[in-house]
Amino acid sequence: MDVLRALVSGVPLTLGVTACAFVLGAVLAVPVLLMLRSRVLGVRVLARVAVDLVRGIPPVVWLFILYFGVTFGGWQFSAFNAAVVGLGIISAAYLTEIYRGALRGIHVGQWEAGQALGLSGMTMFRSIIGPQAWRIALPTVATYAISLLKDSSIASVIGVTDVMFNATAETRQGENGLVVLGIAAAVYIVLSVPLAVVSRMLDARMRAAVAR
Amino acid sequence: MTATTGPDERQDMSRTSMVRLEAIAKAYGDHQVLTDVSLSVASGSVTALIGPSGAGKSTLLRCINLLERPDSGTIEVDGDLLDLGHRVPAKDLAALRRRVGMVFQSFNLFPHLTVLRNISLPQERVLGRSRSEADARSRELLERVGLADKAEQHPSRCSGGQQQRIAIARALALDPQVMLFDEPTSALDPELGLEVLAVMRELAAEGMTMIVVTHEMQFARDVSDHLVVMADGRIIEDGDPRQIMSDPTHERTRQFLRAVLER
Repeated sequence: MDVLRALVSGVPLTLGVTACAFVLGAVLAVPVLLMLRSRVLGVRVLARVAVDLVRGIPPVVWLFILYFGVTFGGWQFSAFNAAVVGLGIISAAYLTEIYRGALRGIHVGQWEAGQALGLSGMTMFRSIIGPQAWRIALPTVATYAISLLKDSSIASVIGVTDVMFNATAETRQGENGLVVLGIAAAVYIVLSVPLAVVSRMLDARMRAAVAR
Repeated sequence: MTATTGPDERQDMSRTSMVRLEAIAKAYGDHQVLTDVSLSVASGSVTALIGPSGAGKSTLLRCINLLERPDSGTIEVDGDLLDLGHRVPAKDLAALRRRVGMVFQSFNLFPHLTVLRNISLPQERVLGRSRSEADARSRELLERVGLADKAEQHPSRCSGGQQQRIAIARALALDPQVMLFDEPTSALDPELGLEVLAVMRELAAEGMTMIVVTHEMQFARDVSDHLVVMADGRIIEDGDPRQIMSDPTHERTRQFLRAVLER
């Protein structure tokens, strides 16, 4: 029971890192997406290189770079912030690609209808393209969020006291590794399954709304 | 939906031109899609644009509201002249599109919005109408195209013919001076096409200036009062529909008419 209590005490940080990194990535992905679709070749190339670079480096390397490598004078990232920023940047790269795919899934006629009606770019994005793209992207975004929740366990290596950190600590203190890690696995499952269920419900609801 | 003004009666209407195209040219790379196309469309007239596929009909139509940018030439809609050799300022583009409504072959309704929102949202955003004002106008137009009962549904619940009538209502809601139709019935079963054509006939009878790319020869003959035949990116005949259909001057027209009429 003590083991379970120790692991559960890491849940807020696991959720915190996941949620903050996800939000950071989801927001950051929008300007990157716009850059990828820029009319200026240089901007497109820059965005493409950035996305590929970010995705090409393993998360653990990113976190080490941010946590141990980045200092300004006496300032450096806390473990939590380094984890959020590192995983946030990685999320931005993946979510950019997911958004891009969703935009591609929207029929060209939607853009043309908007243009012919004289809708502004802002209106098109907010009222026509955005909502449709969101519907297309949702299942993939949810899948990404679930994988991010699990990948957030990497934050334990730079000392974020999340579920995984506590699991490692318990094992080091002589608890049975198989039992401890089994419990850790169970905790992650309990956290991720509701995410999947909620995303499927949302998806079904949106589909039903359109088919009404 | 029965009273249709025949072409003859409409001859008397004022013949000021609503749309005038001069020397429009457009190429995709090496392929010249439109070559020196000039066309004048009278206010209140119905122009049918016909010709074999690949003739450039749709491209020409899409040039009128600048969904396609011609490489050169001028477009004049209701007296406002745009020189396409230069960059068209956003303000002029918006003004042009405000006057020109368009109906597409594939309807292009917004699937995530209800029928009513499809028609109301552009009114609110483009004309600045209030929600209640826009909704009132939308319902009035839905009534007119015979779909008042569909207001709260989503487009996916409507048949193709219904969707196209909704698309017409959506375009009309912005009070355009010209309506462009790009093969409006080509994606529809013949029967569903008829209900769309009925709405178009009614619109024509009310004096709307219309330019219609179509393969519906009966519509071209009975409703339009101006027939334009295109082939290979050029206009090869331009005049009275019955005249051209009964006695085409161009061998290419004869060929085309034989092909479509014998089907």
